[in-house]
Amino acid sequence: MQAAYKRYRVILVLAAILGLVLVDHLNSPTFAFNMGNGNVETTLNQRDSTACAPCGAPCPSSRD
Amino acid sequence: MQQASSSSTASDGWRVDRFVVGAALVGLLMLGGLIWLETAPFLLALFAIGALLGVALYHGAFGFTAGWRNLVVKHRGGGMRAQLLLFGLTAVLMVPILGSDQGELIGAVAPVGTSLVVGSFMFGLGMQLGGGCGSGTLFTVGAGNLRMAVTLLFFIIGAVLGSLHLPWWLDLPGFDPVSLIDGFGIAGAVGIQLVALAGLWVWIDRRERRTHGSIERSELLVTGGEHGVLRTLISGRWPFAWAILALALGNVMTLVVGGSPWGITFAFNLWGAKALQALGVDMSQFEFWTWDYPAMALKDSVLVNITSVMNFGLLLGAMLAAGLANRFNEASRKRPEGRPFLAAVIGGLLLGYGARLGFGCNIGALFSGIGSASLHAWIWFVSAFLGSLIGIRLRPWFRLPN
Repeated sequence: MQAAYKRYRVILVLAAILGLVLVDHLNSPTFAFNMGNGNVETTLNQRDSTACAPCGAPCPSSRD
Repeated sequence: MQQASSSSTASDGWRVDRFVVGAALVGLLMLGGLIWLETAPFLLALFAIGALLGVALYHGAFGFTAGWRNLVVKHRGGGMRAQLLLFGLTAVLMVPILGSDQGELIGAVAPVGTSLVVGSFMFGLGMQLGGGCGSGTLFTVGAGNLRMAVTLLFFIIGAVLGSLHLPWWLDLPGFDPVSLIDGFGIAGAVGIQLVALAGLWVWIDRRERRTHGSIERSELLVTGGEHGVLRTLISGRWPFAWAILALALGNVMTLVVGGSPWGITFAFNLWGAKALQALGVDMSQFEFWTWDYPAMALKDSVLVNITSVMNFGLLLGAMLAAGLANRFNEASRKRPEGRPFLAAVIGGLLLGYGARLGFGCNIGALFSGIGSASLHAWIWFVSAFLGSLIGIRLRPWFRLPN
């Protein structure tokens, strides 16, 4: 039966995703903080209880 | 070079794709290890919950899109009733938690207005053209579906576009979120929603019985077919009842551990915006990205963004499940081209743009919204279903089977 995929492609895609995540993380305040730079503001708990929607949108009543 | 998707063969014919299972496990271990080392234990827990949700979605074949289409086209309501059961169970579990909370937890509530109605309508249309909803797109991509990877790419593009336009849409007529818990209390909010779900159940039953003379109660099956419980649990396919239980508990655990219910599409916004930022675009010129939560997420690592972390877990969990079922990439034997490819592009854009305007997808707005007893979830449901009706009519033109 014909193979449904090629292994190297799967590995390449997974490696690319991991690479992108790593690059993003290495340039982040969280990584800087972990490396001992206490001068950065990290957002380990990204929450905004004043927002009106899960995406952080404000309430229509506050937009007048 | 023809590297095969070789599968191990057990003596009883139980085939597992060792390569895919191994790759998924390595991915889970590497990303999980990174989250453990660099962030906090609660994010690792959410990553694990995401992976379990991915397994449940794949093994349960829990597609919202196909469930809606089966009801409209074939007048079969099993998938739709499974969704209603899921919503009802989640509301029963989640509303009391949110209602008795002292401000630590944030429910999936959102404004009601033009943006919500237009966005959810577009999302419903996009579901049928793109071939999946928020969760459906993600878990099928995890299972190696190439057409859905195209949908996901344009989902992300649409979501970023939607984020740029959302402030304009929010200035159109609308009002602040309506929480049924605030209006009717915990029992009232649960009761009203259960009555509404029961009403829909009766309507679906009548429709199926009128067409077929009987009702297929697939949503009530609790046993796993001919292979026994353990094997079915590992390699699928799960009966709906298992998936319903896993998804409802997964959402409740997400709320308890993460502080807010399960969502998917904000991460797509974030990934797209980060890509643009990497290309030199200053995202702070757009109002959406100056709001506190998006700005916080854009500035920091994706590994501290709950939706992103859970989505990574979900993708790898679905990949693991597809490997265990020996069906990884099976749906991609026929490459997407021509009109089906165009449908994935248009559908993806509509899904992304619609999700942003509609404050989420079938998970963040509908499933978690009903679990949070928010009025916007019900309006989202109606509007997305209407959009889906149009999408179903358009599918034959795009050479998509109904």
